[in-house]
Amino acid sequence: MDPADQSSDPAEADHIDEAALAEVMRVTPLGAGVVAGTAVALLVLGYLAIYFLVFLPRGTVG
Amino acid sequence: MTDQPVELHERRILGTELLWAFGVGVLIAATLSVIVVTALTRDINPPSNVERIDPKTLHLSGEFAEHNLGTTVGPDGRVTVRAIATQFMFVPRCMAVPVGRPVTLRFATPDVIHGLLITGTNVNTMVVPGFVAQVHTEFTRGESLLMPCHEYCGLGHSEMWATVQVMRDDQFKPGPDGRVSCAQR
Repeated sequence: MDPADQSSDPAEADHIDEAALAEVMRVTPLGAGVVAGTAVALLVLGYLAIYFLVFLPRGTVG
Repeated sequence: MTDQPVELHERRILGTELLWAFGVGVLIAATLSVIVVTALTRDINPPSNVERIDPKTLHLSGEFAEHNLGTTVGPDGRVTVRAIATQFMFVPRCMAVPVGRPVTLRFATPDVIHGLLITGTNVNTMVVPGFVAQVHTEFTRGESLLMPCHEYCGLGHSEMWATVQVMRDDQFKPGPDGRVSCAQR
């Protein structure tokens, strides 16, 4: 690309819409929280399943 | 973009991160609580026993001499199993234990580091030369359990295993010397 073609405003050059950017910035933490929360919830469910269904029935040790 | 929305977004992201940190803190506290409550109410703890023994004279005299190996029921009714882990076998190859009674397992080795687990139970320990590995447990079902070496100890490692014979009360009959063996079954 010829550098001379680029606009001096980077936002305009990338065709970033201010309203769309604001919307993305508004929902990004929520989306990250949902993805990470789902992953951790699955991990905790796996931990509890192993604890109650495998570990405890195997009995006392020490 | 104006300065105000940026500040607002940063505050929202900070709030999300703090909320996440709080959630992680709750999970860590819950996990530690599970460990402590399990240890206190179910008597499930990592085996911990620091007891030294000379591996060079292990089989010559004392607790792990050949005539002391296997299952012994003391005068107080306590059941103790003593075994040696050596390249590449456990001595004895079969250990008799009662169902539903506290059992103390004691292991030692004269050569290299071994390890053992008993299938279907939480018994799992290393056997290190120079130390006695001790595990307290209680078997809940009358069955024959496999006890393999789970620490690579040499070329014959995969052939190193023993059997734990869990006996019901009517089968677990100590002899006059307080000893019980698998052959009595």
